[in-house]
Order: sequence, then structure tokens, then C-alpha cells
Amino acid sequence: MALLQISEPGESNAPHQHRLAVGIDLGTTNSLVATLRSGEAVCLPDEQGCSLLPSVVHFDGRQALVGYEAQVLLSSDPLNTIASVKRLMGRGRDDVKRLGEVMPHEFVSAEDSAALRIRTAGGDYSAVEISSEILKELARRAEQSLGSDLAGVVITVPAYFDDAQRQATRDAARLAGVNLFRLLNEPTAAAVAYGLDRDADGLIAVYDFGGGTFDISILRLNKGVFEVLATGGDSSLGGDDMDHALGEWIIEQAGFTDIDALLARRILSAARSAKEQLSSAGSTTIRIEAPQPWQTEIKREQFEALIEPLVKKTLSACRRAVRDAGVAKQEVAEVVMVGGSTRVPLVQTMVGDYFGREPMNKLDPDQVVALGAAIQADILAGNKPDNEMLLLDVLPLSLGIETMGGLSEKIIDRNSAIPVAKAQEFTTFKDGQSAMSIHVVQGERELVSDCRSLARFELRGFPPMVAGAARIRVTYQVDADGLLSVSAQETTSGVTADIVVKPSYGLTDTEIESMLRASMEHAREDIELRMLKEQQVEARRVIEAIDAALAQDGSVLLDENELSQIQLKRDELQAAVGSGSTEELKNLIKAVEDVSETYVARRMNASVQQALTGKQIDEVDV
Amino acid sequence: MQSPELNQNYFELFGLNPVFDIDCVALHAQQQRLQAVYHPDRHVDADDQKRRLSVQMASWVNQAYETLRDPVKRSRYLLEINGVSLPDDSATTSDAAFLMEQIDLREAVDACRHGDNGLERSQDIEARLEQRADQLAQDFVEHFSAQRHEAAIDSCRKMQFVQRIQQQLAELQFELEET
Repeated sequence: MALLQISEPGESNAPHQHRLAVGIDLGTTNSLVATLRSGEAVCLPDEQGCSLLPSVVHFDGRQALVGYEAQVLLSSDPLNTIASVKRLMGRGRDDVKRLGEVMPHEFVSAEDSAALRIRTAGGDYSAVEISSEILKELARRAEQSLGSDLAGVVITVPAYFDDAQRQATRDAARLAGVNLFRLLNEPTAAAVAYGLDRDADGLIAVYDFGGGTFDISILRLNKGVFEVLATGGDSSLGGDDMDHALGEWIIEQAGFTDIDALLARRILSAARSAKEQLSSAGSTTIRIEAPQPWQTEIKREQFEALIEPLVKKTLSACRRAVRDAGVAKQEVAEVVMVGGSTRVPLVQTMVGDYFGREPMNKLDPDQVVALGAAIQADILAGNKPDNEMLLLDVLPLSLGIETMGGLSEKIIDRNSAIPVAKAQEFTTFKDGQSAMSIHVVQGERELVSDCRSLARFELRGFPPMVAGAARIRVTYQVDADGLLSVSAQETTSGVTADIVVKPSYGLTDTEIESMLRASMEHAREDIELRMLKEQQVEARRVIEAIDAALAQDGSVLLDENELSQIQLKRDELQAAVGSGSTEELKNLIKAVEDVSETYVARRMNASVQQALTGKQIDEVDV
Repeated sequence: MQSPELNQNYFELFGLNPVFDIDCVALHAQQQRLQAVYHPDRHVDADDQKRRLSVQMASWVNQAYETLRDPVKRSRYLLEINGVSLPDDSATTSDAAFLMEQIDLREAVDACRHGDNGLERSQDIEARLEQRADQLAQDFVEHFSAQRHEAAIDSCRKMQFVQRIQQQLAELQFELEET
């Protein structure tokens, strides 16, 4: 039910059937999809019984190949096969230049679009489109294995993802045609997977050491409410660095001098497999076959000496996060381990020593994020009306605005609880100025050039005044997914401008629309009919919701006149449900919503009043 | 009707008396109760209008919480809702002795970077700052309740000074612990 539905925590909604919801971990190397089966979160395997889907996509003009089928083509057809697309999400040309060495692709940007595309034999594709192929594959797997349509999904993102990267992920979901309930931070998902919401209240540290990134988050649990107190980490520190450290040791030991790409690859792969061996064995043999055959024994202690500086770096980030959270590390009650690199024993011991307790590692560190996302998706789908779990997140990076001299002035500080809205006033610096350019940036650094540029827009057409007389109020609003919209108003004249921040490198809404339309045409669906059906469903939902609401408290919260106006619009909608066109239904639904706007606000307030005082609405003095 | 409206002040929203000394545990508990009602996750299936409203309400609760949680912001806000506006952020106190003390403290903080026992010395300063902050908060409460608004504004600004040095000191202590 949509309109006017107030769900009290712990109070059950109108009874409804179980709705299918899944959690998706859209990873750099691998992706997973999980759901709840008889109350337990499980990853859904493919037909071969494999849960992991390699995040690799291949395009050759026919249908895109995703996963293992694409992965085998990585070496034979590298230009048309894309791996690690997550690194490109929300990124522009400059960012990609830095990645240029490791990505063999030709990047193109169309004239009418800011989004970068990868050129393949099957056409040019943006990171959003490539990710949407992975999402489609996982959604297909879920629908096949669960035997029904998905009501919605929760997709996880690194806590460190900035606005552009989150927006790109949301766009990919839209393009894949899945209903995105929520973007969820990976560490929060991990804590949920361990069922810590059912445990005693306390502080939780989530230590997420993956292949290429490190994240640490400090969470507080209080009566089913997860609150992210602080997040931190290093976006370029991961298990790959361990492989490199060991690789350098191999080069030194073997005395290799002339290292070409092939040898480098062999060294790294030997290092990786030695690292994995040493997680269970005390020593192992490193073998390089060709082009220069060489082998040696390595003990776990030797390996640990090599990687200790890396683990120390992660602990330094832990200390900072603990401090940002305003807590003492002794207060941390649980430490949750996530990511493949936490399989390394030295990581387990050093993290355990730092926090002074045994880390939690019972769940597969590769699956834990997807499992937690599945639990959250199930709750958001309304399948557990009694569950009081609520996730309160913080903003991972400060949001600022460019001021004179190329400096960034922070409007919303990092680690602020979201959703959040903040406004700040600025003024003109030239006489007669009638426009102002607004540059939105994200990051902690003082200089705008060191921060990430999210968007630029202009407020135009306010009356010219002497310098310093105009009052320009800039408002930043961040929603629960961490996505930003900005508005600006010159308050003396009332001139306004606003934008939903479309990152400078993102796709425009029109682009997404046209991609969506194209994909719908391919599906040979009768779009018109489908839209009409959707509107009819929506209309019935609105009527049902308003009837339920009016029956509950219509006579308490509305006077007679207000009540009859709402009734009138509701009846008009009811009359049109069977016969009206899509457009007519849309307008009539809007009319009902408009006329009941005040009512919605009053119901919300009344329900808060109730939450605060425990009083029933009908006991409140009218 | 006694239902809360958006023109409520933050204290009213949280069901607290509009005074400086508030129960921070109750504040936190109330924040979570309010978010349990307003947070967008509780309205996933609602229509756009309702979802927008929920984002606005949840933002409002968060802003109220952040304001009341921080002693400096809380004191400014108390003055504000009593019709006393603080003219300018950059305005400073005219208390010369206080300013001298602040300069001394700042230099002492910087000095911890050099020489031995930096961390121990910084902890002494930390204790001094904490004492100073408590005393200024007390001053504020007295001036505010006696409606000496100019003096209350002055205490509020001084609290802000001390808070900034406390932040600098915390940053420095972190660096010292790292090395």
C-alpha cells in the first residue's frame, strides 16, 4: 500500500503475501546474489552450483556474455571483454587515465554525453550499462531459482563510494529493470549477516579487507537500530598489494632482471597462490616455470614479515575510525571480518590483538556482504513487519562548494548522519552581478582541485545589486542512499535553480530513458498496455490506502470540508479505474495526492506524537 | 490539536526542556525513536510525495540531533530560539585576557610536536581544556538564565574557541600515537 501508509515500528502492516527480495553484492572481481530461505540467508548458485559470478562481461554484437563464459575470453579477446568495471563506475576520463595501464580498452566519449564508453565489437558501452548486464544476470538467476518476479533488490556499495559512484550504481539498477529498494554500505551488510542486530547492544567494528580496497566502519547497535558512527579506510590498499610485496621478494630472490609482461604475470600468480597456501600451511614452494625456471621454499613467517607493513596501515585507519567515532577501542564488543584478504592468519591475529578480542569469521568472507544485503532486502520488502531493524548511515565524504580562490567550503561534514539537509548563504563579489556559478565538490581536502567535482550549475537572472548585497542560499539535501540534490535561491528576489546532482561523468536522465526504451522494445513488450496496467494497479493501491487511512483516523484529523474534498477526488479516481486512459489515471492519482497532502503530514506528525508519548491518536486533544 | 508541527523547535521535537544541561542518553534514545518513524527505509513502498516528506522529516530530526548533541551548537541554538541572534560567525570576543590564554594554549599544543613526552604534555593540556570548557558552559548557563544575553553570547564564542583547540589537540594526539 502506498499513499498514507504509516507503519509503526513493531506494528504489522496490512497482511500481504511474501514478496521476493534479494541482496546483491556487485563486486569488483565477483558478484553474488542472496535471498532468505526459511528464515536463513543463502547465496543463490548458478546451474553448476557456483555462487560467485565473475564480474566480467563480453560483447560481440550478439547477446552479452556475463560471468565464467566471459571470463574465459579475457585472454583471447581482451578488447571486447571487460573485467573490474566497478573501478570505472562514476569515473571520468582523467580517472581512467590513471587506470589506463591495467585496462586494455579503447575509451570513447560521445559528443552529447559526458559518460565514457568502452569500444567493443558489439558497440560502445558505458560502465553503467556493463554493470547493468551483471545485475540482469543475477536477477535472472534469482527469478529462475525462486520461480517468481522480484519485488525489489538491495545492492551493496563500498562505504567509501562517493556520490558519483552511488548514482552510477543506482542508474545501473534502473537500466537492468530491477526495483532498487536501497543502496547499502557493504560493512553494514556484513554486520547484519552475522545477526548482530539480535545480539546485545554495543559497538561493532567491521574490518573489510578485499582484493583492492580496505574499509573500516564503526557501528553502534541499540535496540535493533544500527548506526554507522564512522567509516574510513584506504581505497587503494588490498590483497593485491600483498601479492605485489611477495612478487618483489621473488624478483629479488631469483635475481630476475629482464621482466616482461608475461613473466610479471607469472610472478604475480605464483605469489597469489603462495599467499593462499600459506593461509593454511606453515610453508610452501614457489615455482616459476618459464620463461626463466626458478623455485624456492617460503615460510609463513617470511611472508608475514613482508606483509606486516600493509596490515599496520589498515590498523592505522582503524585507529582513526575509532577516534572519529568518538569511542575507545576497548568499547568495541565485536569485530566482523569481511573480504578474502582476512583469510590471511596474520590479518586475523593483528586485528584481534588491536581490538583485544577474537574477530568473527564463521561466515564465508566472500559471501557475508551479499547475505546481509538479502536480510535487509527481506525487511524492506515488508516480509518481517515485526522486525525493528533500522540502519542509520553516515555520509562517507564531506560535501562542499567552491568558493573564491579555488577553496572548498564544507557544507556537510563527513560522518554526518543521513538523510541530512543543510543550507548556507553566499553573496556576490562584483557590483551588478546577476548570476552565480555553483560548483559542487566532494572530499576532505582544502583545495577544490584535490576534491572530486560532482556538478556545476548556475543561478541566473536575479536583479543586479551592489557586491555583497545578494543573499544566495544554497541547500544540500542528501537522501538515505547518500545521494545529493542541490538547490540555490537568491532570497531577496526569490529566483531559484536546482538540480539533482548528476555527476559530471554520469549519464543524463534522457540517456537512461532512451536506453530503457530501447531495451523495452527489444523485449517486444506492449509498452502502452503495460503502462496502463501499472497505472490501474497504482490507482487501486491509492484508493485502498486512502480508504484504510480514512477509516482509521479521517474523522479525527480532518474537518468535514477537508474530508469531503478528499472523498470527492477518491471517488473520481474510483470511477475511472476501469475505463480511464493512462494519462487520465495519472492525473487523477495526482489529484488525490495533492488534495491529501496536508492529511499525510498530519498523520505522520500524529504517529510521531504517538511514538513519543505512547498515546493513541484518538486520545489526543483535538 | 496538540500534534507537533514543523515549526516546533528542536527541544520540543525531542521532548526536552529548553535548557543547556540536557540528558544526552535521552536525546539519543529519542533520536532513534523518531527515526524509527520517519526514516525513508520505513516508507520504501510509499509514493513519491510521501517518500519526499519522509526524507525531509528524517533530515530535520538528524539536524536537530546534531545541533543539540554539540554543546557549542546547543548554546547558540538556545540563544537563537530566545530571539538573540549571534551577529557573525567570525566575530570574536573582546576579552583580552581570554585571547592571550588561547594563544598560549595554541602554542602549547604546537610545542607538543617537538621534544620528548609530547603525548604526556598533550594530555595535561587536554585536562586543562576540559576544565575550561566546563567552566565556560557554567558561565553560559548563569548568564543565560539571568538573561544577560551579551555575556551569554560571549561565553558561547569562548566555548567555540576552546572546542577548536580541542579538535586540533585531538588531531595532534592521533599523529603522536601513530609515530
